[in-house]
Amino acid sequence: MRISAPIAIVPVSIIGLGNVFLGDDGFGPLAVETFRCEYAVEPVAVEVLDLGTPGLDLAPYLYGRKLVIIVDAVHAALPAGTLSIFSEHDFASERAQLRITGHDPGLWESLAHLRLSGEAPQELIVLGVSPESCGFAEQISPKLLSTASEAAATIAQLLMERGVGCNLRNEAATPNLWWLPAVQVNDAAVA
Amino acid sequence: MARISIDPVTRIEGHLRIDVEVDGGTVNKAWASCTMWRGLEAILRGRDAREGWVFAQRFCGVCTTVHAMASVRAVEDALALDIPPNAQYIRNLILIGHALHDHIVHFYHLSSLDWIDIMEIPKADPAKAASIAEGSSSWMGNSRRELEAVQTKVKGIVSSGQLGIFSHGYWGHPAMRLSPELNLILFNHYLQALEFQRKSCQVVAILGGKTPHIQNLAVGGVMNAINLNSLATMNMDRLGMLQAILEDLIPFVQQVFLVDSCLLAATYPEYFKIGRGVSNYLAVPDLPLDAKATKFDLLGGVIMDGNLSSVRPILDWKDEGFRKAVTEDSTHAWYQGGGPLPPYKGETTPDYTDFKEDAKYTWVKAPRYNGSPMQVGPLANVLVGYATGHALTRKWTDTAFDQIAAVHGLKVTPNDMQSTMGRYLARSIRSSMLADLALEHLQLLTTNILNGDDTTYNVPQFPTGEIMGMGMHEAPRGALSHWVVIDKGSFTNYQAVVPTTWNASPRDQKGVPGPYETSLIGSPVVDPEKPLEVLRTVHSFDPCMACSCHTLDATGKEIAQVKVQ
Repeated sequence: MRISAPIAIVPVSIIGLGNVFLGDDGFGPLAVETFRCEYAVEPVAVEVLDLGTPGLDLAPYLYGRKLVIIVDAVHAALPAGTLSIFSEHDFASERAQLRITGHDPGLWESLAHLRLSGEAPQELIVLGVSPESCGFAEQISPKLLSTASEAAATIAQLLMERGVGCNLRNEAATPNLWWLPAVQVNDAAVA
Repeated sequence: MARISIDPVTRIEGHLRIDVEVDGGTVNKAWASCTMWRGLEAILRGRDAREGWVFAQRFCGVCTTVHAMASVRAVEDALALDIPPNAQYIRNLILIGHALHDHIVHFYHLSSLDWIDIMEIPKADPAKAASIAEGSSSWMGNSRRELEAVQTKVKGIVSSGQLGIFSHGYWGHPAMRLSPELNLILFNHYLQALEFQRKSCQVVAILGGKTPHIQNLAVGGVMNAINLNSLATMNMDRLGMLQAILEDLIPFVQQVFLVDSCLLAATYPEYFKIGRGVSNYLAVPDLPLDAKATKFDLLGGVIMDGNLSSVRPILDWKDEGFRKAVTEDSTHAWYQGGGPLPPYKGETTPDYTDFKEDAKYTWVKAPRYNGSPMQVGPLANVLVGYATGHALTRKWTDTAFDQIAAVHGLKVTPNDMQSTMGRYLARSIRSSMLADLALEHLQLLTTNILNGDDTTYNVPQFPTGEIMGMGMHEAPRGALSHWVVIDKGSFTNYQAVVPTTWNASPRDQKGVPGPYETSLIGSPVVDPEKPLEVLRTVHSFDPCMACSCHTLDATGKEIAQVKVQ
């Protein structure tokens, strides 16, 4: 007999995707960490996760969610640091022609699996940023570093529009940006 | 003669290219090429040895945990540091949770569609399918209603003509032979597996603080605070939660995954004769049971030339034979240098030349054990266990053999396991073993805590001179070792010899090919346009090329060039 899950599923996931060692590809993890430090959410309602580059292993973090917001660097011919919002429909319909992010295959396949098993998230949003450069062992570009707070504010707005409680902290917590050199972490704190 | 280039091989983690030459319907030459460069070793040099694991677990986007673990073990080895038993058990439970997750995803989501024909599912009789499934397993999720619901979903996809992620399968291939009912049963489990993928992640998350990328490790132990009277720490509630998840997860492993792999084995017995490849096997001991890591629940060993009676056990991590035997050769890899170097002296300086089959053709180096290529992975783990008489390995291997014989009337021997199908079967046998061991290690942890031991960490002390260490882990894809050189507490060299490097190894200085390459020689290819047989054998190794450079191709150019409209 199957026992019900002993841990309740958190209804909302804020997910950062990207490789922190590939310069601006690490924007997703940076943005969700910035959000976590600047905004307070109810922990039983919202989880904030840096998932790195999980491929098909995305599925457990989308499973049964009401709302998923994914932050990722997108391949777009727009000025670096431009934020764009995509609904699931946007990239489902464009699927045949393009990949929005480097992490699409895993995302797409995980979603398709979950849809078949009836456990797909009710709403999925991709908050994309146009990167300047995704080179190996590069630092994140100053432009994207300064966009992190804007991305955090956009996440907060997306949540509030959907009735998910989210408050700007009186004093921001210190982000754990362990992969960035100290000088960049200081820049992030100043920004 | 036909030349087939599969690039990229799909349904794997990362980017792999396979080239084969087919003559008269049979493969006679093969090359495996990894088209990504993993540069993390360069990032680790100069870092504080205590934080190396945080970076090392980004070697891969998928098996993050395994590199974190091998990294702390390497530093602890250099320091000859004891690890409190609680920390060993907590680490072991994390490793088991990760491995079960990995094996389930590989069997169902990454490889089962090489054997299941989705297009046959609409023809199935769900009542007949339910009776077949219930006859071979006590699993509760095989009811007629459940199967009907899945069939309805598949009918919807097929009739819409919008196959989505299933549009690239080799449907209708003559090498697909499951009946419509068996296709339905297996695809039902394919979907159910998603729930258990999630549950095995929960085991890792509860103990590791987060998954992927656990947060609880430290050189010297783990950072889990144990206090049975505190709500915020490891307490009886958490332990009970783990027990409940495991009791939910284990039946799926032992009554579904294992049974399904037996079903595949019985339907496709010719794959016990295909894909043997390099028949030298290497497994390393894991799941240590004491502070000094003298006793282990999983055995290590070396088998040469497929001769199980020749097994040399590797009893613990200090094994000098292993430490002296491992080298890496860059003759055919896109790195400077050529002939074999021991990992402590390893170099990782790129030297990209494009794919040149007689010269350099991959980013993977050629690891060798006393000069020989070795196959690693669940099969090596199971064969070493079986050959050394390891009770748990025997129990589950014999269970699988009995299941295949009883339900399908086919006799399988340990020697048959040295094959493509043997690698699939070994993965489910190993998972069944790990499922038993998960409960055992949870019990060990609970008992130790109840006996009053709440220690989880010993403080590392770094000497001023140069020290070297090696950390092993029998990862889901096989033997993993991290080799570190430390001076004044910082890394001066860092080399990881990873399972897929062993298996995807290119030819070495002497021209001897690696396991993927060898396993494909002699494989049938009925239709060169649809080389399904080649994929089955490549997938049987569970390739994981996912290092950290997934968005770059070999020239450093972005692979995905798209415009957002």
